[in-house]
Amino acid sequence: MSPAIQSPPGHYRLTHVVKSEVVKMLTVPSTFITFGLTVVAGLLVTALVTHNVMHQGPGFDPTQQALTGLIVAGLTGGVFGGLLITAEYSSGTIRATLAATPKRPVLLAAKIGVTALTTMLFCEVMSFVSFFLGQAILSGRGAPTASLGSPGAIRAVLMTGVFIALLSLMAFGFGLICRSTAGAIAAFAGVVFVLPLVMHAISRSAVPYLPTNILTNSIMATVNQVPPGAISVNGPLSPAVGLSLMVLYAAVTLAVGSVLFVKRDA
Amino acid sequence: MITAHSLTKRYGTTTAVDNLTFEVLPGLVTGFLGPNGSGKSTTMRMIMGLDVPDSGSALIGGKPYCDLAWPLREVGGLLDAKAFHSARTARNHLRWLALSNDIPLRRVDEVLDQVGLSSVAGRRVGKFSLGMSQRLGIAATLLGDPGVLLFDEPVNGLDPEGIRWVRHFLRGLAAQGRTVFVSSHLISEMSQTADRLVVIGRGRLIAETSVTDFARRSGGAAVRLVTPDVAEFTAALIAMGATVGNAADGSLTVDGLRAPPIGDLAARQGLRVHELTPIAASLEDAFMALTQDEVEFRPSTMAGTLAVGEEE
Repeated sequence: MSPAIQSPPGHYRLTHVVKSEVVKMLTVPSTFITFGLTVVAGLLVTALVTHNVMHQGPGFDPTQQALTGLIVAGLTGGVFGGLLITAEYSSGTIRATLAATPKRPVLLAAKIGVTALTTMLFCEVMSFVSFFLGQAILSGRGAPTASLGSPGAIRAVLMTGVFIALLSLMAFGFGLICRSTAGAIAAFAGVVFVLPLVMHAISRSAVPYLPTNILTNSIMATVNQVPPGAISVNGPLSPAVGLSLMVLYAAVTLAVGSVLFVKRDA
Repeated sequence: MITAHSLTKRYGTTTAVDNLTFEVLPGLVTGFLGPNGSGKSTTMRMIMGLDVPDSGSALIGGKPYCDLAWPLREVGGLLDAKAFHSARTARNHLRWLALSNDIPLRRVDEVLDQVGLSSVAGRRVGKFSLGMSQRLGIAATLLGDPGVLLFDEPVNGLDPEGIRWVRHFLRGLAAQGRTVFVSSHLISEMSQTADRLVVIGRGRLIAETSVTDFARRSGGAAVRLVTPDVAEFTAALIAMGATVGNAADGSLTVDGLRAPPIGDLAARQGLRVHELTPIAASLEDAFMALTQDEVEFRPSTMAGTLAVGEEE
């Protein structure tokens, strides 16, 4: 047998798997559909909210208003993160993937890294664009505006991107657990969008701890913030606590998903 | 070389693969034969590291799949004809596979050419026919130029031309010195493709032997006899200790005597012979007999009788 190619020394590494995962991500239309949808729908929501702004009283928060569209990114980012793993199962590609790179922890590290970096970079850009778009519209309506130099504004804009990357990682974790697109998206949408409605009805004290509420009231908001060191009852969490809690949610979901992924038969 | 040693896999109370031990040697096509649901796919998945055995081991060149340095350069596996994302193009499917094992990207076009898919390389695989998908799956196995290849039911759903192509391809790979392991539930297909057979039934090893030996040992040879002198011939044959059966077309099926003594008998007694044909034991019959009745054919005894004529 005359070899057509020579094997390089050593063995396959994380960098090979990352390259492979990036190509995978960029060669399916769903990536561009979810990101395209995020841009269009997200900016449309920001435009509508800032254009129709009513309350311009003392509690008015132009930063939060201009970031509203990123809630859409929370949903689409979750769909994106979930699909990155569930599409492998629904298409059967997972078996080809594991045959190519059978070390599951390495594969997971590559996938988690690609998901996190892609959504974070994208959402940071989205966050800034939405902020500036919102301020431009608010200014056109004669409403109060914020700049990146306004207290808390740059913090809110940057943290929003990170927060949505964490949401997509949580969805990726649900994808690892459910292994089906419908299941993962239902679980994600359930936690992020349905749970707040349920909790409002049964236990209001838990509401500030829910991802969606953290995003809008702790991360995007720059006014009505709890002063550092103060303890609020039923009020929004501070940005740092809120972000840390979301890190915890994503980590727990990913940890459960990862353990199952490594242990279960493909 | 692939070695399975006491491989066992249970799903709940069902034992899908039961203490399976066999070897797949380089330079030959080894057929992995068994009825549907006999544990062929599960065994292949364990070899590929997709499923973890409950006990025993499956090694490739002495290593578990998971420990291979460059899996795609060492093993090519086609376990599922449609294991592609339908929206991805054929070329892109092979590109991500190549990158994962640092395989030069020129190999992508080389293997597409090898399987005859160059003209549809840019087409989404969701639009592919089963035959084209099968070819793409084979292209993927060749990407890393591996020495060991596994194919799970590669001709399923293919048209005769496709079947012939796959058969020719597998033989070519073995002729290059590669280890080729092909599962099938069709003995007729395996008899034309494989050199050796690993036969399983209900997850247990029934035979590990050569194709010719499998046919020879699994069923007695009979002789078909067409004669106008049925009554006289039957009496004479029974007198010689043969068993005579009447076939639907009026011919006789003689068991226990080979063609030469039957011809001699005809000459001695002046009986007319219109046709005298030795019938090779049907591989299907042998296969059915071996796999249908697990009680009668315990793997331990069958392995003992059938493994005698093993070919290297």
